[in-house]
Amino acid sequence: MRISLLLLFLLSMRPAKAGTPEMLQTAQEAYAKGEYAQALAAYDSLDQHATSASLLFNIGNCHMKLGELPKAILYYERAIRLQPGADDIQSNLDFARSKVVDRVNELPALTLGSVWDRMRGGKDVDQWARRSLWAMLITVLLASLAVAISRSAIRRALIPLAAIFLLITVVSVFLAGYRVAEVTDRSQAVIMAPKVDVRGEPRDGSTTVFVLHEGTKVSVLSEQNGWSEIKLSSGSVGWTAPGSLEII
Amino acid sequence: MKRTYTALLFLLALLVSGLRAQEITFTAAVDRTSVATGDPIKLTLTLTNAPMNSGITPPDMGGLVVVQGPYDQSSFSNVNGRMSSSVARVYVLQATQPGTFTIGAATARIGQGTIKTEPIRITVAKAENSGPSSSMLDQGQKRDANLFCTISLSKSKAYVGEQVVATYTLYSRYSSIESSEYDMPKLDGFWAEEIDLGEPGFNSTATVNGIGYRVAVLKKQVLFPQRSGVLRLAPMTLNFRVNRSFFNNGQAVRITSNSAELTVMDLPPKPADHIGAVGDLKMEVVVANNTVKANEAIDITVKFSGRANLKLVDAPKLAFPSDFETYDPKINDRISVNAGGMSGSREFQYLVIPRHEGDYTIPPLTYSYFDPAKGRYEQLTSEALQFTILQGDGDPAVVQRPSRTDVKVLDQDIRYIRTGDLGLAPKDDHLFGSWAYIAGMGAPVLAFIGFIGWNNKRRRLLGDTQAMRRRGADRVAKQRLKEAASALKADDRTGFYTALGRSLEGYFADRFNLGVAQVNAQTINEKLGHLEGGELAKQYAGLIADCEMARFAPFENKPRQQCYEEASSLIHRIEDQP
Repeated sequence: MRISLLLLFLLSMRPAKAGTPEMLQTAQEAYAKGEYAQALAAYDSLDQHATSASLLFNIGNCHMKLGELPKAILYYERAIRLQPGADDIQSNLDFARSKVVDRVNELPALTLGSVWDRMRGGKDVDQWARRSLWAMLITVLLASLAVAISRSAIRRALIPLAAIFLLITVVSVFLAGYRVAEVTDRSQAVIMAPKVDVRGEPRDGSTTVFVLHEGTKVSVLSEQNGWSEIKLSSGSVGWTAPGSLEII
Repeated sequence: MKRTYTALLFLLALLVSGLRAQEITFTAAVDRTSVATGDPIKLTLTLTNAPMNSGITPPDMGGLVVVQGPYDQSSFSNVNGRMSSSVARVYVLQATQPGTFTIGAATARIGQGTIKTEPIRITVAKAENSGPSSSMLDQGQKRDANLFCTISLSKSKAYVGEQVVATYTLYSRYSSIESSEYDMPKLDGFWAEEIDLGEPGFNSTATVNGIGYRVAVLKKQVLFPQRSGVLRLAPMTLNFRVNRSFFNNGQAVRITSNSAELTVMDLPPKPADHIGAVGDLKMEVVVANNTVKANEAIDITVKFSGRANLKLVDAPKLAFPSDFETYDPKINDRISVNAGGMSGSREFQYLVIPRHEGDYTIPPLTYSYFDPAKGRYEQLTSEALQFTILQGDGDPAVVQRPSRTDVKVLDQDIRYIRTGDLGLAPKDDHLFGSWAYIAGMGAPVLAFIGFIGWNNKRRRLLGDTQAMRRRGADRVAKQRLKEAASALKADDRTGFYTALGRSLEGYFADRFNLGVAQVNAQTINEKLGHLEGGELAKQYAGLIADCEMARFAPFENKPRQQCYEEASSLIHRIEDQP
């Protein structure tokens, strides 16, 4: 038990790369002065090593200010995935989406609104994993106490408490797994090219099935020779040429 | 009789009104004050109601050249019985170089006194060189050596909106010429402003390839191209009748001019504060009053002056904070069109009403125009405007408070970046599924399993009641027989039997909740008779009796050690009973 506590402690400590605070400061000052390109360069270099919802959000803001709508949407989507239900990210994403040419019906997400999103998302991706570890620890402690104590009144109170914590453990493990699966999902993409002919077959010159514009979000079904088979939420399926989209 | 009376009255009225009309005025007027070099200026000196013998001394023309005149015109009028006479002297003047000229005061001598006119200032701009080129003249001459016309432009290349002067000129060798039909070219893609030339006529002469011509400028226009590309002015066609005299009906001549072409370049991308002007501009911002009370008007005048397509200048936007109400501006134009192009000023008079008190600094107004000479946009910048708005009038108790309104959303912008620690974490390095996580989840489970194992072992030990009772009986027997044991060791015969007997009695009394006095063979049999077929009770009572006897008798039935062991065994056997 002492080992697992130590592990938890070690995991909660994150290695910070040298020079990161200075870089953040530079980027923040540049953004405040309206020098969005400099701010973007600084944030991008940070993004090479490590990331967070906040960093992705800031990068999205820089792209938005520089008028690069599809990039902004891409980064906002990445940010909201790391931190579902975050007010500011959602608001900026909605604003950016309002400027997209294509009006594709977004499927209503299977959520219970932003409160659930916030709870589901936690502070970071590892939140539920950490919670599950704690809940597991508490469950075991309670169960051990229940076993050790022979006085029946205390024992009768401890057993349901341990059961509740066991349930919490199971739910946390499930959520932790779900979050990781969600974050590592590579099936969504944003159209990067100003205008994309979506074709019926993965080759140039085949029939154009429909046309998409920059910033539209699509699902990627498969890849072939660099071509991506995409699906809109409306159900339309087609192939896009290499380089016309970027995975979120 | 009555008629004579009426006639007399009429005459009287005439006389009275005639007397009343004796106001003498002397004025000088020009048809325009802003011209280009070569443009005619008509100066008219008008003397009214002066006696016939009055003399007019012409003014100093201040450098302008008199090209025609003076002509005198006199008129006499009687309007509603009001008689007036006037003498007008007309000069046609011309400026040979650009600048500002002043026509001095003219003097009229009336009787003994004199009367003077006001001096007049004339601004002369440089005329665009819009005369026809020699090749144009050559071609015209080839078409008809006696009569030809040309269309010439002051430039061959211009930006959209840049002014270009078009001149339509007629060259003639005929002494008698009458026009009958004009067919002026349609101006497609241009916006045109006519230049006032005064009276058209053969005002000058020219020699083309050794042949002398009389030259008439038929028309001059300032053209503003409206779109890019090559814009073409179609040739004009003129019909004349020449050499017409009393005896001769003359001869019809139809002439066609050359066509003119203008290459129009597009303007570079417009800056946001572009006001639509192309040319050369100056800006002046005049604020009538910087300090006003709330809800009182402020007059702000933005004046653009210079040489540009002023009539196309849009009302500039005033970037005022939203608690200033701005109204659409009133436009005052002072624009003249002459051979130098369109120049003058356009003034936008704004009415701004501040609604809230406070000190306001409005950032400088900036507007840009396109300068075709430099080929780029130039920015005009005013000073920053300072306003002090005082509290408005009215009793605060009855003052009409502005009704509460929703916060106006002026524009939408994205939310600001997140600052501070952004909580950076390595990419795709998740706790869930990692070895650390599996260890963290597994360790408590393993620890729990270990704990259960250990606990079971302990429980098993605790749960063995036989062994436990034995251990307990040992403890009890040892404790009870402590005194006897020490007496045995000390070899104290009396002490040993006394202690042993007392211990057995005490133990029995304690075990069955009896008084020591109640311990006898009967109670022992009662309590222990059911055990071991009465043997235990018999032995217990027997041992007590033996101890009693051995205390006083000089002999012992059994060795002391055997008695001690027997007593210990008895206590054990009793203790082992549930």
